[in-house]
Amino acid sequence: MAAVTFENVSKTYDGKVSVVDNLNLRVKEGEFLSMLGPSGSGKTTCLMMLAGFETATSGEIYLGERPISRVAPQRRNIGMVFQNYALFPHMTVAENLAFPLRVRNISKADIAPKVKRALEMVELAHLGDRLPAQLSGGQQQRVAVARALVFDPNLVLMDEPLGALDKQLREQMQYEIKRIHDRLGLTVVYVTHDQSEALTMSDTVAIFNFGKIQQLATPDEIYETPCNSFVAQFIGENNMFSGTICERGDGVCKVRLANGDQVHALTVTDAPVGATTLLSLRPERIRIDPPAADGWTITTGEVIEQIYVGDHLRVLVRVFGGHEFVVKVQNRSAGNGLTPGQKIRLGWRASDCRALDAAAGQAGAA
Amino acid sequence: MMSGTIANVRPPAAQLDGAKRRQVLRQYRRSQRRDSLRALALVAPLCVFLAVMFGWPLATMLTRAVSNDDFGAVLHRTSASLAEWDGTGTPSERVYADFAADLRQARDEQTMGQVTSALNFEWTGARSLLMRTVRQLSSEPENGWKEKLIETAPDWGNPDLWILIKRLAQPYTSRHFLAALDLEQAADGSIQGVGPEKAIYVTLFWRTLWVSAAVAGLCLVLGYPLATLLARLPLKTSNLLMMLVLLPFWTSLLVRTTSWMVLLQDNGVINSMLVWLGLVSDGNRLSLIFNVTGTLIAMTHVLLPFMILPLYSVMKSIPPSYVRAALSLGASPVTAFWQVYLPQTIPGVLAGTLMVFVLAVGYYITPALVGGQSGQLISNIIAYHMQQSLNWGLAGALGSLLLVGVLLVYWLFNRLTGGQGLRMG
Amino acid sequence: MALPAHISPMGRLAHYGYLIFCGSVLLFLIAPILVIVPLSFNAAPYFTFSREMLQLDPSAFSLRWYRDIVQNGMQNPNAAFGWAYLVDSWNNAQWIHSLKNSFVIAIATTILSMLLGTLAALGLTSPGMPARGLVTSLLISPMIVPIIITSAGMYFAFSTMGLTGTFTGLIIAHTVLGTPFVVITVTATLEGFDRNLIRAGLSLGASPVRVFRSVIMPLILPGVASGGIFAFATSFDEVVAVIFLADYDQRTVPRQMWAGIREQISPTILAMATILVLLSIGLLTIVELLRRRTERMRGTTL
Ligand SMILES: Nc1ncnc2c1ncn2[C@@H]1O[C@H](COP(=O)(O)OP(=O)(O)O)[C@@H](O)[C@H]1O
Ligand SMILES: [Mg+2]
Repeated sequence: MAAVTFENVSKTYDGKVSVVDNLNLRVKEGEFLSMLGPSGSGKTTCLMMLAGFETATSGEIYLGERPISRVAPQRRNIGMVFQNYALFPHMTVAENLAFPLRVRNISKADIAPKVKRALEMVELAHLGDRLPAQLSGGQQQRVAVARALVFDPNLVLMDEPLGALDKQLREQMQYEIKRIHDRLGLTVVYVTHDQSEALTMSDTVAIFNFGKIQQLATPDEIYETPCNSFVAQFIGENNMFSGTICERGDGVCKVRLANGDQVHALTVTDAPVGATTLLSLRPERIRIDPPAADGWTITTGEVIEQIYVGDHLRVLVRVFGGHEFVVKVQNRSAGNGLTPGQKIRLGWRASDCRALDAAAGQAGAA
Repeated sequence: MMSGTIANVRPPAAQLDGAKRRQVLRQYRRSQRRDSLRALALVAPLCVFLAVMFGWPLATMLTRAVSNDDFGAVLHRTSASLAEWDGTGTPSERVYADFAADLRQARDEQTMGQVTSALNFEWTGARSLLMRTVRQLSSEPENGWKEKLIETAPDWGNPDLWILIKRLAQPYTSRHFLAALDLEQAADGSIQGVGPEKAIYVTLFWRTLWVSAAVAGLCLVLGYPLATLLARLPLKTSNLLMMLVLLPFWTSLLVRTTSWMVLLQDNGVINSMLVWLGLVSDGNRLSLIFNVTGTLIAMTHVLLPFMILPLYSVMKSIPPSYVRAALSLGASPVTAFWQVYLPQTIPGVLAGTLMVFVLAVGYYITPALVGGQSGQLISNIIAYHMQQSLNWGLAGALGSLLLVGVLLVYWLFNRLTGGQGLRMG
Repeated sequence: MALPAHISPMGRLAHYGYLIFCGSVLLFLIAPILVIVPLSFNAAPYFTFSREMLQLDPSAFSLRWYRDIVQNGMQNPNAAFGWAYLVDSWNNAQWIHSLKNSFVIAIATTILSMLLGTLAALGLTSPGMPARGLVTSLLISPMIVPIIITSAGMYFAFSTMGLTGTFTGLIIAHTVLGTPFVVITVTATLEGFDRNLIRAGLSLGASPVRVFRSVIMPLILPGVASGGIFAFATSFDEVVAVIFLADYDQRTVPRQMWAGIREQISPTILAMATILVLLSIGLLTIVELLRRRTERMRGTTL
């Protein structure tokens, strides 16, 4: 059963620009769904509509079977973690946690143990008497999570909850949120603009751009099989180069590049022969000195530069008469003997090269 | 290879069809209007209250300055019949008869004073002239009022006097504003300066200006260094010292003025101390009060917190790293101050200076108590005309000029500080 | 502040000169207020320290000027202290009369100003407010317009409404002068108010009324209270409007001091001034505490 359903939801603030554009989305019970997209792509707006602080211009949102447009925010029973936490500054940590219970008229005797348990869950049992301003950023964040969970909501929304934390703390909190999700079997809608956060935490990722979902899939599908050039470019690193489709076969096509070379690629776009296409190729799928095998594209290139990253090396290679490719090489032994100006052979499986739509960054490409 | 050009261009517009789009636009406008109305409804009570209890009084003040009501109202018959007179020769018998009737009514209703004072202001001897005339009003004349009045006083045969009366009987007049600028309208209608013995207001305006500017300057000189110190000290210390700045701010103006009277008097604390120290002899005590020196000292004290508070809040927001950067780049402390620190404090300087200036221009209590004759400012003369000479028109005109000046500076203040300048505590 | 070793002698001199200058300015600010306190205990009717006072001779100090505050105007000032004495003083002493008037007017002014000012600040900071800057400038202009002009205008306008010589008139006049302070402080508080807190309250299940009561009110109350105290102080200190609008019956403390100073300044005024200084210290302390409370919640003092 779906916990949340967006059905043809559109939202415009000013009647001109659709901030959310005909959105359809189902979030399953117990699922951890991330909304990932650049700033301004409409993620917060979606969350606000779900929480009841904005109303959809058209379409309907269902919580379970129930349309929620007529339910007041305070009756939706949705836990929410705000981007800046929105902890009440005049209440202590414990009072903040007790607030949702008090407004539900739960007796004092029942409130105390619930608050205590919630604080223990986020390992802050000793800080109940502090004011929020007396906590560090990470601690505040945990209080915000505990407060959103203490009244046992069936759905929890989080709007870039880790955006204000430093990298190390962020990774630790990602782990803890994930752990709480697994343990309590919550349904979580999680907004972020950090792709590694989305990929590591989620069951499902929805990639947003211009108010539209560009791709809705599991993290590995998103990474391995981006469905359009926006997703390919947004997630991870990709070598992108354009060409013209000159032959379409069964799932594969032949593409002519600007210098006249032809390469094979997996057809993802439905553009016809003669149309422009953007090819995408992950740097780690390119091999230097590849084995001569069937289904491989082999070409030669000139090393421009080599950057030492630690666990791997990034080699910048000029190919196809001008394109600069990044190639990731595992750092197996100190130095691999490549020098700038050196001519090398490189190749990749034709199926790793994906022929996508022509224009990255254009909505309506999905 | 393409690089990060994603998401810079938004597609032109939503794919909403015409009808839907119009509906959404309408909803959007309606919700905006609802927001505006809600905000206005909250602001409305205070707006209405201030309009009635503040705006209207100010407007009354302004109309006082230009209105001629009293004179025209008392001589209403005369002014009606004078309207037909072309200003050459003496007016007709009808005017004289109406004039006599008006004067008689004024005598009976005891409103003569309003005629007398207005006329006396511009016509020498008008007071005795009117008194003499009023005595003759009891009996009806044989050959008409014209002859009888001219017989009583030859002035009534002078067309200039009637031109003056006609002018004074207009509903509006510029004479108060002229008087406030030490000008008057001659009998022939031309504008000229009043005699040097009567010209006091322009001098007073200038004095008000320079005293206010001097007070603002003194406050800046005294307040700036202290504010830098307060902004640099650790918060605990500066909070404590700030109390010393805030206590005067919170103390009653009269208390502070009283203190200065106690301190500055001839046998007050300061003079006694100077005599005791042997710095001045007992016979030559400094006259520090009841002159412009007293006004300057007391007003500087009263207004200094208004300088320090905005300076402090601006300086507090300047991170110390700027001056450190300047020093590390080789600037001397003096250069670092002049070229890096000072320019960043300019908003505070402007806010403080304009605030002190604008408050000083309208000061009344302090100059009245410690200023003596030479330390009086424009507010004091307005109070004098309001309460003692009862020349309310002139008080209104002086007040209007002062108000315009103050509002100009306030406008400038808002422009320069972006409306953020007024912060308390 | 200790100076680092690399500072030159000239630099040291300048630094200490700077500190001494700042100290003198602080002294200039505070000394006039402090100096009247001992003088108000002067046994002799002079405004300077007598030799005996400087030698701390107890006979040079007395409470006679404070007694004068309580007694001046009493029908029977020499009666033994007791209930009748207190009643006589409460009903007849001039200064007590003024004090009562001052408090009545100031408290009424505070309540009215807080009400009008808070509503206006809520409007000014809400998102739909049109012409915000202009309206704000207009609403706080009573602070800027010279008091003599405001008072004179009110004298004309209020006399046509029958408000001169009434408490209502004075309360209205002081509310006009005091509300801008409330507008400024509450607007500043509301600008720092995070609207997400309202959403958080709702999302946690509280009704809008509940959110207003337990989230919005406690957070803006310090600002409202500070503004109210400013309005109170403004009214308690105001004299020009009182001169123009009040009769003897509405005479306030500053009005009485004004009259006293103009006629014959007596040490009783210093005694009253000392009491007013204590009052302002009280008000200042409350405002400081409110400010620190707010800062603690914002976490800036950590
Ligand atoms: N209350 C609002 N009024 C008008 N426009 C808004 C409002 N909130 C957001 N927007 C606009 O909607 C777009 C999407 O915003 P948002 O949902 O916050 O994006 P994200 O959370 O993905 O960064 C932005 O262009 C933003 O400017
Ligand atoms: Mg957002």
